[in-house]
Amino acid sequence: MDPLSTRQCANVAVAFRKESPLRNSLLLAADRRIPIVSHLKAFNMLLDLKNVTRLYGTVIGVNDLTLDLPPGAHGLLGPNGAGKTTLLNLITGQLSPTLGSVRVLGESPRLSSRLRQRVGYLPGSEGMYPNVSAIEWVTYLTRLQGYHAKKAGELARNALDRVGIAEHMHRNISTYSRGMRQRARLAQAIAHEPEFLILDEPFSGLDPIARHAMTVFLQDWIAHGHSLLLASHVLHEIESLTRSFLLLCGGRLLASGSADDIHDLLADIPTEVMLRSQDAKRLAAELIGEGLVESARIIEDGLLKVTTSSSLDLSHYLNRVSGEGRHLIHELRTADDSLQDVFNSLMKIHRGTA
Amino acid sequence: MNTLSRIPAVFSFEWRRALTLPRLAWMLALAMFAPALMATVRIAAGESPPTEVAAIVVYILSVSVTCMMAVFLWSTPAVSSELEGRSWVYLAMRPHGPLAVLLGKYLVAVSWTLPVGLISAVLSILIVGAADTPRLLAVECGLVVLSCFAYSALFLLIGVVVPKRAMVAGVAYALLVEVSLAFIPAAVNVLTVQYRLRCLLVRWMDFDVAMADRNPVFTAYFGEESALWHLGMLTILTLVFLLAAGLLLRYREFTSAAETET
Repeated sequence: MDPLSTRQCANVAVAFRKESPLRNSLLLAADRRIPIVSHLKAFNMLLDLKNVTRLYGTVIGVNDLTLDLPPGAHGLLGPNGAGKTTLLNLITGQLSPTLGSVRVLGESPRLSSRLRQRVGYLPGSEGMYPNVSAIEWVTYLTRLQGYHAKKAGELARNALDRVGIAEHMHRNISTYSRGMRQRARLAQAIAHEPEFLILDEPFSGLDPIARHAMTVFLQDWIAHGHSLLLASHVLHEIESLTRSFLLLCGGRLLASGSADDIHDLLADIPTEVMLRSQDAKRLAAELIGEGLVESARIIEDGLLKVTTSSSLDLSHYLNRVSGEGRHLIHELRTADDSLQDVFNSLMKIHRGTA
Repeated sequence: MNTLSRIPAVFSFEWRRALTLPRLAWMLALAMFAPALMATVRIAAGESPPTEVAAIVVYILSVSVTCMMAVFLWSTPAVSSELEGRSWVYLAMRPHGPLAVLLGKYLVAVSWTLPVGLISAVLSILIVGAADTPRLLAVECGLVVLSCFAYSALFLLIGVVVPKRAMVAGVAYALLVEVSLAFIPAAVNVLTVQYRLRCLLVRWMDFDVAMADRNPVFTAYFGEESALWHLGMLTILTLVFLLAAGLLLRYREFTSAAETET
């Protein structure tokens, strides 16, 4: 432990004359003798999870998950039962980890009232009171954030206006469509103007128009520099908002980063390529003979499906034989570049079927 | 802003939400239960009972049965209904939210059940027409107030301890502890609300002076302590129930594996 670092923490903290989360955090770091550099790094992180495991009895919800996320928009992707909601519950402080530590915006979320001012949460389950209006409900929850009645009402109206249901806000929630309820739920999450918005399956049950409206709203939210963590099991919902995603399966983090990072991870994973040629059988034999493909299968007359781990070499070879006139390649199709394929590949690796 | 400043928000919201015709009708029916019974007995008997008998009957019907029933219906599901309706997460995500909701709902329960108990007691006493009506009114109304505050805290705690079977646990506790155990002259009965209320009734009505010599087990059922002591103990019990419920809400995780779909 470097004693200077502790002193630095204390000195920097004193420099903040007013009460602030950073000041308090630095004082805490000084108190706990944590080096200032590592502490400030953690403070700047949106999420900082270290070896987080959450057990429900003998069932594992989240398994040894380590993660550093900078501020920004991130997608949390995984099939149903992957542990997304457990992870969100850990991040929002509804649950505490069985092992490891969770920090959100530099703070432990479990019992932090200050953090609850900075975070907005849209849970996966509806849980709305049917016999109150949206304005009453959102105002109530905003008042619980600590605002006086008048200011809370103002913020609630503003939030309901932003999500596009201001004209219906005096109607009972029981009369709302699914899309309107979802918007009202979003309004309660943003009414207190949080810097970090956490959404659990926000597109669930929405019709295409409502999905589009939600996407546009979230794109605007991100464009204004706010942070976002969006959990979904549908890839294109995340893909339309961010290229930074976390892939969760079986409570484990399979991959994280941008789509390109994941593609790099998959560089050595066999890729499926479809080829259409006049003499597909001969081409298949040549490709196997050259060691360029691991498998080859005639799908239909002239259509060949090969699996290769050396896409670049295969591409060069096909260029050459095509140029030399030995084979006429009518069609060359690889798996498209969407995240769905990346996701599928990672899932195959995880299940041991790649 | 702290927890206390958020309580009015919970109180006003929950009051508005609860103000429905069926609920008003149900509460009115509960308030009229004891007076209706008293009126029937009064008509059948034809004359006013002695003050002691009137006090005990009103105590049993209004302070014990009506108040306990009204408070049970209000307080026990206060937290469990939020958990079942999955609305708890919205409240738990607010700074000091759980505690503010607990105390706000506690006050709502007291403010709804207090008029029910008071109407029940006042009408019953007026119908009975006992000799010392003013004193009877003061004592029974005082006991109704104490009963509402104490039982609200108790049933709120039961709802927090056993949120998934709150109503069943509430009924079981009421029958086993507040109805049965409270009448067993042992060390444990001093921990019941019923015992304290009962002791206060006999102290405030001066029954101990009149009955002590006639009944050798009097002290076992009604204690020897002063009214102030019982009042203090009842206040402490109420605060302990609230504190325990508050601590449980703060530190307990109310999100289950099933809710997290994992």
